[in-house]
Amino acid sequence: MKCEEIAGLLPDYLQEGLGTEQKKVVEGHLESCVECREIAGLWKKLALIPDEQPSEMGRARFDAMLQAYQTGRRDEGTARRVDRGASFWSVFQWLRSPVGAVAWSIVLVVLGAYIGMQLGSAKSSSQQDLAAMHTELTNMRQMVALSMLQQQSASQRLEGVSWTRREGQLDPQVLSALMHTLRYDQSVDVRLAALDALSRHAGQPQVKKTVVDALQEQQSPLMQVALIDQLVEWRDAEAAPGLEKLRRSPNLNPTVRQRADWAISKLN
Amino acid sequence: MLQVRDGAGETLGVLFERYHAPLYNFYTKLTGDRALSEDLVQEVFLRILRHRQTFRDGTPFRAWIYQIARNARIDHFRKTRPQVPFEPEMAPTVTPGDPAQQRQESELLHKALMELPEEKRELLVLCRFQELPYEDVARLVGCGVATVKVRIHRAMQELRQIFHQLQAAPAGSTQRAAAQNLPPRRVT
Repeated sequence: MKCEEIAGLLPDYLQEGLGTEQKKVVEGHLESCVECREIAGLWKKLALIPDEQPSEMGRARFDAMLQAYQTGRRDEGTARRVDRGASFWSVFQWLRSPVGAVAWSIVLVVLGAYIGMQLGSAKSSSQQDLAAMHTELTNMRQMVALSMLQQQSASQRLEGVSWTRREGQLDPQVLSALMHTLRYDQSVDVRLAALDALSRHAGQPQVKKTVVDALQEQQSPLMQVALIDQLVEWRDAEAAPGLEKLRRSPNLNPTVRQRADWAISKLN
Repeated sequence: MLQVRDGAGETLGVLFERYHAPLYNFYTKLTGDRALSEDLVQEVFLRILRHRQTFRDGTPFRAWIYQIARNARIDHFRKTRPQVPFEPEMAPTVTPGDPAQQRQESELLHKALMELPEEKRELLVLCRFQELPYEDVARLVGCGVATVKVRIHRAMQELRQIFHQLQAAPAGSTQRAAAQNLPPRRVT
């Protein structure tokens, strides 16, 4: 059989989709044809290219995205409920009628008595309300920051980083997103801003580790110098081996190497 | 997926666990860019949430999710032209104990794959690495099953040629910018 005829069967043979008879025909041809045999061999060898493992940050980003999406849908639901409120206009009209007036007068008296009884504990409950509002506001800000960090536009991601600076304590998901930005954002400006934002969270062990890891990954000299300066500012002695490794990199910018030398002398 | 479509957003987590690694590999093998691949995987799941109502009962889910993945990539490259055809760091991860020849072959194959024109590379990635049946791939790219098989055969012939050229050439001298290859046309 000629190659042109085998070409129609070979793709099915490669995906093991041929019957016994046709398989024998193809295998017979492969024994005599170098080109087709090599193609079949290459198909098998493609398995040598191993699969890559996605980073663990992916799951955190997905959870954040799902949470933001679900919150957004809940808000839409609330807005719809407000619209539905218009249909309660007829109830309002009933309250204005004489029968309605008696009814809400009774409700007001009962409510007044209840408020009087609760007055003693009013202070503490209003403090609780304030705390709840504060928490809600914080959550909202962090959600905005998360969503902005995932935007296509670098300026929006920069704004997302600046939102994270408004909070003293960051949610773990926001912190993860910020660390991901530091390592993988396409824009140097955004990565630098992320480093600046992370510098306030040196207390978190994973932050220091991410900065040390980023030192080996970043190619931009500007970024490398900023990372080195940050590690010196934190006086992170554990970063010394990482700095030493960077210093030995063959194609390292001379200024960065000089800075790494300086940092190693400071940390030791 | 039917549960996700009917509003159970949390069920999407199960789909994420099952598909995020295959999708990530689909993108890394196509783009050669890890960070971009992570971003595109997130985009796929966001699109699943947004467009879940378009999923029809009885549709092969894998084909549907790869359609979304394909469109997400095409939309991305419509805004930004690919700039990183093959990062040296994207060379396959070598496990300790790999024989040197096998490692070298694996690297050459990876390079050869990245030098294939975009459309051919995509077909090989879908059929060989993602193991999608030719019928599903035909539906994805919007052509007949027979055409897919012909294209696969041609892609393998070209891969063989590039592989031979790389084997003959000194290391590092034959990189051809895959960035020049435009992404395939979007099929909706």
